[in-house]
Amino acid sequence: MSDALVDGYARALFEIARAEGNLDEVEDELFRFARSYESSDALRAALTDDMVPADRRQGIVESLLDGQATSTTMQLVSMVVGSGRGRDLPEIIDSLVARASASKDLAVAEVRTAVALSDDQVSRLKAALTNSSGHEVNLKVVIDPTVIGGVIATVGDSVIDGSVRTRLEQLKSRL
Amino acid sequence: MNLIAAGDIDPAQSVNWLLPPLSELIYGGIASIIIFALIYKFGGPAAKKGMADRTAKIQAELDGAAEALESARTEAEEIRRAAGDIASERDRLLAEADEQAAALLSEGRERLAAEIADLEARAEAESAGLAGRMGDELRVEVSRISSSVVDQLVAETLDDATQQALIEDFIQKVGARS
Repeated sequence: MSDALVDGYARALFEIARAEGNLDEVEDELFRFARSYESSDALRAALTDDMVPADRRQGIVESLLDGQATSTTMQLVSMVVGSGRGRDLPEIIDSLVARASASKDLAVAEVRTAVALSDDQVSRLKAALTNSSGHEVNLKVVIDPTVIGGVIATVGDSVIDGSVRTRLEQLKSRL
Repeated sequence: MNLIAAGDIDPAQSVNWLLPPLSELIYGGIASIIIFALIYKFGGPAAKKGMADRTAKIQAELDGAAEALESARTEAEEIRRAAGDIASERDRLLAEADEQAAALLSEGRERLAAEIADLEARAEAESAGLAGRMGDELRVEVSRISSSVVDQLVAETLDDATQQALIEDFIQKVGARS
C-alpha cells in the first residue's frame, strides 16, 4: 500500500475520531488493537484472507471488540477491514497515532515491557522520556513477553533499550 | 514254285517230302543271295549307321554318366570343402566372439570398477558433507535450544520484584538523560 493511501486512511480515521470527540480513547484502543493484530497470526490470517467475505471479516472484528472498545473504534477497524485493507491496518493506525500526537504537539513514545506498568510508573516513565527526548510524549505501552524483563522505549527514531532480551542477545553473541 | 514245277519237273517223277527240286534250290539260292546282297548293299549302311548311332548314344550316355559322376564327385568335394570352410569359419567366429566377449568383460569390469570407485568417492564426499551439514544443523539447533532454554530460565528467575526493579532502574536512567 502506498504511503499516500495509508496517510489517506489515517487522516480519515483521525477526522472521524476527532469529530466523534473521543480521539484520545479511540487512538489508544486502535493502537492496542494494532499490536494485538501484529502478535496474532490467526487474527492476521482471518482479517487478510481475500477468500473470507468482507462482511465475515467485519463480523470477526465486531465480535472481538464488542464490549472491549468504543463503537467508534469498532466501526473504524471494521471499515478498514471491510474495504480489504486489513493487511495495512497497523501502518494506518500508527500513522493515525502519529497524526493525533502531532495535532497535540506530542511525540509518540512506544514502550514495550514484559509486565504491565503501574499508573505511577507510566507517569514517571512519561516524564523521564519527555526529559530525555526534550519533547512532550504520547506514551503507548505494549505488553510484550519477548522483552523478558526491563523496558524498550522508542521515541521517533531513537530507541532506548533496557531489556533483558537484548542483554541476553549480547551475551549470546559474545559467547 | 508252281512255275518251276510246271516247266522243269517231270510230273511223273515223285516229289520228295523234304527237299525241293534241284532247280528250285538253285534259283532259290541265287535269289536269296541276290536278296541278301541287296539287303547288305542297301540296308547294311543304315544298319551300320544305326549301330554306330546306338553305340555313340550309349557312349554318350556313358560319358554323361561319367561326367555326372565326376560332377557329383566335384560337388561332393566342394560340399565337403564348404563344410570344412563352414567349420573353420564357425571356429573363427566363435574364437572372435570369445575374444570380443573377453574384451567386453574386461572393459565392463574396468568400467564397473571405475564407476564403483567414483560412486564410493561421491558417497564418501556426500557422507562427509552430510555429516558436516548435520553437525552444523545440530550446532544451530543446540544453540537455538540453548538460547530458548536460557531465555526461559532467565524469564523464570525474574520474579515480580526483579521485574519492577528493572523497570525502576530503566526509568531512573532515562530520567537522568537529558
